[in-house]
Amino acid sequence: MSEFALEVEKLVKVYAPRGKPAIRAVDGLSFSVPRGIIFGLLGPNGAGKSTLLRMLTTLTQPSEGSARVLGFDVVRKALEVRRRIASVIQETAAELFLSVRDNFLTYAKFHGLERTTALRRSAAVMETFQLTEEADRKVQDLSGGFRRRVQVAKVFLAETPVLFLDEYSTGMDAILKRQVMSLLRAETQKGRTIILTTQVLSEAEELCDDILILNKGKQVARGDLNTLKLLSQGVYEVAMTFDRLPEGIAADLQALVPLRYSVDQNTIEIAFKAEEARVLEMVSELARNRRVVHVEVRGASLEDIFVELMQGREAQ
Amino acid sequence: MSALGAVFYRESKIRATNVTFIFWDLFYPLCYMLVFGVGVNSALGSPFAAAGVDYNAFFLAGVLGMASFGIASNTSWSFFLDRDNGIFYEMLTYPLSRSEYLLGKVLFNVLIAILQAAITLLLSRLLFHLPVRWELLPLLLLGMAVGTAGWFFFYAIFALRTRRNDVFNAITSIFYFVFLFASSMFYPLEPLPAWFRGAALANPITWQIDWLRYMSIGLGDFHRIAWEALAFVGFAGAAFWGAVYCLQRQE
Repeated sequence: MSEFALEVEKLVKVYAPRGKPAIRAVDGLSFSVPRGIIFGLLGPNGAGKSTLLRMLTTLTQPSEGSARVLGFDVVRKALEVRRRIASVIQETAAELFLSVRDNFLTYAKFHGLERTTALRRSAAVMETFQLTEEADRKVQDLSGGFRRRVQVAKVFLAETPVLFLDEYSTGMDAILKRQVMSLLRAETQKGRTIILTTQVLSEAEELCDDILILNKGKQVARGDLNTLKLLSQGVYEVAMTFDRLPEGIAADLQALVPLRYSVDQNTIEIAFKAEEARVLEMVSELARNRRVVHVEVRGASLEDIFVELMQGREAQ
Repeated sequence: MSALGAVFYRESKIRATNVTFIFWDLFYPLCYMLVFGVGVNSALGSPFAAAGVDYNAFFLAGVLGMASFGIASNTSWSFFLDRDNGIFYEMLTYPLSRSEYLLGKVLFNVLIAILQAAITLLLSRLLFHLPVRWELLPLLLLGMAVGTAGWFFFYAIFALRTRRNDVFNAITSIFYFVFLFASSMFYPLEPLPAWFRGAALANPITWQIDWLRYMSIGLGDFHRIAWEALAFVGFAGAAFWGAVYCLQRQE
């Protein structure tokens, strides 16, 4: 049995639509993921995250290279891979004509659970995902958010060692999202490996033990949050609250050539790359002739790192 | 086996939510016979009247073949529903092989086709006093099972290769016209022009109907029918291989 949950070598996926130029959605990726961690795949739209996940979950075959899940090749041993994974695909997927409960029981049947176990686990999962009251309603009568809940909840029924989640939190409210995040943490404690993609960088920052950032099918950066922060040394985030929003502040912020900035009521947030000594000068410039109530200077967040890496890539 | 059972369970659960549809599936061949069979028999008579076979008896196999063809087409259409619901792609990541997925999907519908044939035969005997050969019933039901599966695999190739259901609907309409009318479903082939007869003899639904006709009322040349049955099994096998191939290449 392989010590890695995932092993990817020179993986390529080319889509060649009729009459259009070929697209290299995944372009020579190589990486491995140890067992029992939460591994995040980040990247802008079209970076190749979902295509990579589709290959790893045996939904589509690679054009070149190889990928193994728990040592099983995704092409040659696809069924063995499927026996060891559960996945939430990006699109909402549910049995619309079946009740919520029957959705769970059907899923459990596919994963070989005994009926009593399936019923017990379904009840627990429905409770966690606040679906108990909807148990007998057909999924076609539920809202989009509830359908997504049913879809995500299902993967907690089976105890497959690897879990793939493609933007699982889409359509979830903040409270449920928190609950699911702690559930995912608990699953890794049991030894499950979780591979997830997300557009919500704060979620990845909080959840992922290891992160791979992709752009245009290629690896841009890889590592845990601290490693990624080292890649972005010199990026600072400043939050300043004024007694009232100063006039012309937006122009002043733009003049600093920030990685990003935002203005919310009396508070501004700005991220920029600069020498450490220059940061205080910048804060002083922004504070000049203005009454500052609160100042906070932080190191780069994952979002800053992500923006900087993407901008750097574009510049190249 | 558990994977097949799971797909069977899923299909039966979904179909059980629409009892009207199941009822129609079970009884529509009989309705067809009551309307079309009785109408033609009364208005035009039977091409085999001299041999003591009325049109209802002749048409019995045709109506069973049509039902088998219809169930297969409806089942393959469910790929579009599954795609729209997103569940199609999720299911492809479940612990089952592509062939188990296809076989499981058709299994419940084969069961419906077999029940449908049994009901149609029984009520045809009671209502029309048709000379049913009960001793050949297992072989007739086998013909229904293999026929339904074969046509489902054939249709699945097109359903899996087509992205738009309006295109698929156009394909099935053409198939209904071509396969059903250029066959021995409604009329015997002997009086037909040579080109028409040739086309009908090369049509897999003729092979299936000839088998069903022999096994239901004993009409036909057994040697030819045996060859046709072998050809149909070959057709069903090729269609199964084609459908699995298409399923493996879903992106």
